Amino acid sequence: MSQINYRTINIDALDPESSANFPMESLLPATLPQAASASDAASAAAQVRQMLRGGDPEGALRTVLDTAPLGGDDRAKEVHLATVIDVLQGIRQGEMTRILEGVCSGDGGAERADCLMKYLYKGMSSAAPGSGTQTPKKPVSPQDTGFSQIQARNLGEGGGGQQMSVLLSWHERLVEIAGTGSIVRVMTDRRTV
Amino acid sequence: MSQSLRPYLQAVRSSLTAALTISNFASQTSERHNCPEVEANSSPEILLNPLHISRNENEKVKIEPSYNSVRISIRIKQADEIEHILVHKFTRFLTQRAESFFILRRKPVEGYDISFLITNFHTEKMLTHKLIDFVIEFMEEVDKEISEMKLFLNARARFVAESFLTPFD
Amino acid sequence: MAAPQVHHLFHAPIADHSFSFDKKTLAVARENNVELYQQSGNKFALSDELKGHEKTVTSVDIAPNSGRIVTCSQDRNAYVWEQTPTGWKPTLVLLRINRAATFVRWSPSEQKFAVGSGARVIAVCYFEEENDWWISKHLKKPIRSTITTLAWHPNSVLLAAGSTDSHARVFSSFIKGIDTRPEPSAWGERLPFNTICGEYLNDTAGWIQGVAFSPECVTVVYPSAPEQPPRAMLNIATRLLPLNSLIWNGENEIIAAGHDCEPFRFHGDENGWQLAGSLENKAGEVRGAREESALNMFRQMDLKGQAQADTKLKSTHQNTVHTIRTHEEANGVVRSFSTSGVDGRVVIWNT
Repeated sequence: MSQINYRTINIDALDPESSANFPMESLLPATLPQAASASDAASAAAQVRQMLRGGDPEGALRTVLDTAPLGGDDRAKEVHLATVIDVLQGIRQGEMTRILEGVCSGDGGAERADCLMKYLYKGMSSAAPGSGTQTPKKPVSPQDTGFSQIQARNLGEGGGGQQMSVLLSWHERLVEIAGTGSIVRVMTDRRTV
Repeated sequence: MSQSLRPYLQAVRSSLTAALTISNFASQTSERHNCPEVEANSSPEILLNPLHISRNENEKVKIEPSYNSVRISIRIKQADEIEHILVHKFTRFLTQRAESFFILRRKPVEGYDISFLITNFHTEKMLTHKLIDFVIEFMEEVDKEISEMKLFLNARARFVAESFLTPFD
Repeated sequence: MAAPQVHHLFHAPIADHSFSFDKKTLAVARENNVELYQQSGNKFALSDELKGHEKTVTSVDIAPNSGRIVTCSQDRNAYVWEQTPTGWKPTLVLLRINRAATFVRWSPSEQKFAVGSGARVIAVCYFEEENDWWISKHLKKPIRSTITTLAWHPNSVLLAAGSTDSHARVFSSFIKGIDTRPEPSAWGERLPFNTICGEYLNDTAGWIQGVAFSPECVTVVYPSAPEQPPRAMLNIATRLLPLNSLIWNGENEIIAAGHDCEPFRFHGDENGWQLAGSLENKAGEVRGAREESALNMFRQMDLKGQAQADTKLKSTHQNTVHTIRTHEEANGVVRSFSTSGVDGRVVIWNT
């Protein structure tokens, strides 16, 4: 007989009326855009990169935020995130505030600001895609007395520090413009990017 | 404060300001209970999207907000094995005395070195912006503390080695 | 404009407060009890305590005409308190809920009151003469999470509710024999009990913290402070932290307060709403900016290592504002309103 430990079964999860089984899809608004696929995201990315190369960073940022795949699958979101980060990295420090003011004003500006804030947090939560060679952190336990100075070199400043500092400075500017209310909306919004 | 640390702490500060908007909430799962929802994890709509702020791979903060509580987990910079040991000892020292720190969580969240749990009862008794100041100050100080300890340790090791090796001189 | 009247009652959170009709009596929910304060001169002095709840009292409401007080608490109970010559006498209400009661309000007719709860129901309670007690009927259907806030339509039939499932809903709470049949309105013609007259979800899906009917509308506030007139949904994206509670001032103004510790004014109409500013700043000008003397500054630096002690917020409230209520109004225009918050203060503001 298979050993099932009945004490550890979470019976709440089996009750459809339980609060643990809250239907999260009921939090998504009816206005959610159509599910975008990875290829849609890739074509949007090509368009945005074109604009960026053409010397229109403001337009690029505007487009990339307007085409965010809020209803897309994980793959599409990943592709789009990479595009957003490319755009953000492609804009110089000195121009940030001017471009942000342009993007966050006008029709739908507040939505774009919230969307950008979502991407900033998402970008910081994911491991840096550019530095994919990062070795998975070796489990260093206090018991392990063997000194290894070799692998430790990279740890101090490595690991996408460059990309993070770009995101952090964007974050700072965006909070100045959109306020903490924008962060609150990132927390509550179930339409993740 | 170094130049690149400032935007990091600034981002943590504004995120905490947004997250620490919590109020009293009785459990809707168990009768007559009132527990931190972020820990109970029993109703998904009460939890909000977690926020991540990272400076690099090794220094990051995770903020998990909910209706009546916020969990803040910090990963402290560990450049080498000695720092790893020191961080481990240091956080263990703190967490063992968690009652006297009020907002300290006894066990850090997986993948992080130290966690704080702030509930609505804390924000009622203490000023929210002061709580945020505390967390920021902690983050500032802990790096300094660890590198200082590392210097001490190295100095001591040098001294010990010296006295051990004197007889062979 | 006069400065706001601040009444610092104690150092504990005030979950809710309510003034009696003559504004002489103030009821505040403090931990497990409700405290009654009587106005004497400029101050409010503690006059009575209503003890009976076993857990945190979450809400209190005084009926303007009958003077009855209804309270509800996280111990799942609600009491109706009536004044007798020997003091306040509680009557237990049969709520039939098994989770915390979170919010209670008298209907404008004072025949009924509604209790929101964590059991995903709203108990609409009314007095049954035959059995001589308060019994309840449940509004249940599409509610999926804790009810955080309620508001009555002036006709005492329509009830707006906000919940942590991020929906604001308008229900009919028509009870035969208690209510007179309401006039057909924008919300519908026949309104049997538990009719859902409206259900709204905001794009950003924040928890609903406050709802209010304007003379014609229902409004909702939650973290991003969206509002909604009768049919369409309007959303105000603000820079602010979540707002907790709101009132209407005429048709074109909303006053709301929350985690920013100060009340804000919103202006707008059907075409759009926007933040018009804080009510605090004006008050601040009246009080005048406090000059920091050099001596004081150096003393602070010596004692605390910082130039200015920032343990005091600039706002009148020192912590989150929980409740905002109309204090005095004339012809639908609010002349003053009161706020209470976690800092144990009740403040009366002039608009």
